[in-house]
Amino acid sequence: MEVSNGEEGMSMVVMGRYGVLYTKPRPKSAETSPRVIDMRSDTVTRPTEEMRVAMFEAEVGDDVFGEDPTVAELEKKAAELLGKEAGLFVASGTMGNLAAMMSHCWSRGEEVLAGDQSHVVLFEQGGAAQIGNFFLRTVRNLPDGTLDLEELRSKLQPEGKVAGDPHKTMTRLIVVENTHNMMGGRVIRPEYMDRLAELIRGLGIRIHVDGARLFNAATALGLPPAELVKHADSVTICLSKGLSAPAGSVLVGTAHFISRARRVRKSLGGGMRQVGVLAAPGIIALEKMSQRLEIDHNMAKFLGRGLVSMSDLGVDLDLEAVETNIVFFGLQRSDMTAEDFVARLEKEGVANGDRVIVKMLPARVASGEVKVRAVLNHHVTHQGVECALIRIREILANRGGRKRKQET
Amino acid sequence: MRRAMAAAEVGDDVFGEDPTINALQERAAGLMGQEAGLLTASGTMSNLIAALAWCSRGDEMIMGQEAHMFWNESAGPTALAGAQIRLVPNDVNGRISAQDVAAAVRDSSNIHVPATTLVCLENTHNRCSGGVMTPQDTREVVDVAHAAGAAVHLDGARIFNAAVALEVPASELTKDVDDVSFCLSKALSCPVGSVLCGSEEFIGKARKWRKMVGGGMRQAGVLAAAGLVALDSMVERLADDHANARRLAAGLANIDGLTVDEDGIQTNIVIFEVDREKVGDAREVIAALREDGVLVSHSRDQALRMVTHRHITAGDVDEALSRVNGTVRRMAGAA
Repeated sequence: MEVSNGEEGMSMVVMGRYGVLYTKPRPKSAETSPRVIDMRSDTVTRPTEEMRVAMFEAEVGDDVFGEDPTVAELEKKAAELLGKEAGLFVASGTMGNLAAMMSHCWSRGEEVLAGDQSHVVLFEQGGAAQIGNFFLRTVRNLPDGTLDLEELRSKLQPEGKVAGDPHKTMTRLIVVENTHNMMGGRVIRPEYMDRLAELIRGLGIRIHVDGARLFNAATALGLPPAELVKHADSVTICLSKGLSAPAGSVLVGTAHFISRARRVRKSLGGGMRQVGVLAAPGIIALEKMSQRLEIDHNMAKFLGRGLVSMSDLGVDLDLEAVETNIVFFGLQRSDMTAEDFVARLEKEGVANGDRVIVKMLPARVASGEVKVRAVLNHHVTHQGVECALIRIREILANRGGRKRKQET
Repeated sequence: MRRAMAAAEVGDDVFGEDPTINALQERAAGLMGQEAGLLTASGTMSNLIAALAWCSRGDEMIMGQEAHMFWNESAGPTALAGAQIRLVPNDVNGRISAQDVAAAVRDSSNIHVPATTLVCLENTHNRCSGGVMTPQDTREVVDVAHAAGAAVHLDGARIFNAAVALEVPASELTKDVDDVSFCLSKALSCPVGSVLCGSEEFIGKARKWRKMVGGGMRQAGVLAAAGLVALDSMVERLADDHANARRLAAGLANIDGLTVDEDGIQTNIVIFEVDREKVGDAREVIAALREDGVLVSHSRDQALRMVTHRHITAGDVDEALSRVNGTVRRMAGAA
């Protein structure tokens, strides 16, 4: 089966080992509905035809009894790919991160340090505190996505130093996010991880990498993913984002850590049964879809270049910061906020003769400014980006707005 | 089911855009006599979400002493939702009584005392041989709970087994509670998942809790598609599982060294006792049965559990009985 980078509504007879699975009808007219160019996230990715066949054919068993061979295969492959001993399939990256943090912070009085713009801090509802019952303190994220190492050094509270101090929590874990979502899909480099590892050597502190988009980082650097996480005690990777599986993530670490995480996962309600049906597309995601991410990065740069050419219309974008599949841009306009812009963009328009709807999301960044975020994924083709740029220019040019005066 | 899963129309459910999940949730809510539904990864997750939604930290929740939520959920409701569990007796069919619940309700106007904010029911009851609660039983407990200002969560993992056994629509058993969860992945045979149902307001809150515990899946319409097939075609056949369970129980009752309460077998679960002196330790019996190709689980002490489902035919039951008899005779001879 070919990996589909495909268009919707194609007529297809899908063959599997057992013959014809199903046909997808072509719509009666290509004009019945507008084309949706969805850049709200890479989570919107739908499974490929190959993945659907794999789901159909998957060998399954009860994974709570450890009897699902497909998920076992996925967990083993993920662990090997990331240079760790064992893996655990989880329903989401949030579950992977929460189970990881809870498994590391096993004793009372421990804390996690994470970036102030990181997903675990901003977008996981404080599960660390609410469910995990441990402290989550922040360290500033620098524009490149890293944690400020000097600030981190000053905030470390290793057990050896503070065990006798009744005021202080004990730092047990540092979470690094790679790529870093809110800082713009930024890539954390192995050299930084070396310095971080050196900083905490011998202090009884561990590293968890929230690698939701780790394969984007590996692709951008041209390095094997294991290289990026060699200092990490645990890693979460998402299968459902750019890798396009329907659902799920994998947490990897030592065998002991994973057996603990398996317990935690069960208590969170993540013990699923014949989950091989999700693991089968997950394997394809891991092995095949991880190889096509450079296309998304090129599309991101293409979008970025187009946006930079609209700086006279108020678009504010640093092209150098576009390292992977995420593009953040500001709108310096007195007549239109980022939210207005996104709402207008989502209305149906025409580009290159086609009816299109372009979707992005507003996002409040560290400075408090609300920017626009676009995330490239396998449904957004070169043509899709072209149409998006036409629509963006149309909206920004139409209102005749001036660039907002820079405040000094 | 596999076909439906492979062909499922999907979208990003965290944005509420998976049409297959939406269809399943609506269908499930209708069947439960509730306003809205939410697909969860497991019954354990549904139960945890109910505890998180209804109980504040330091509240107390009442449930039967044999409840799955107490025994087999890694203390999640307490450890993660921060609520204390207060146990009341289950009768032989797994029912808890309105009187016992009323007596256990707390008066939290006293500073020493936690507030009772949740009563949990289980129907059918796992540890009580798959016993059923009738609509009347359910209503009585609900009335007492509501009078005390507590909500009622129904762990209806096997609610359809109860409905089929009682020959009533499932909604008769579920429409009066504040929320109910049923499992897709058990006898309904879907690969994964449960559906939590309740009011629009409750489900709105449940969606948020679900995301927090990590249950926010994306294109999970592939799982929901199987659920829709199950609700169409896997409910009525539960009567076959019940018939097979009764056949199994009758056969086990005839094996010297085993005791089973045949009248207590109301659905698809058979719990039977192994005489320690005559036959041997329960765990050794399980191991010996496994070697003879019969897989059973341990309930407690000397009680073993067998569960019938679509992969177990009447012929399989007879074969199993023959093998169990052989194993027990062998162990009894050696005992």
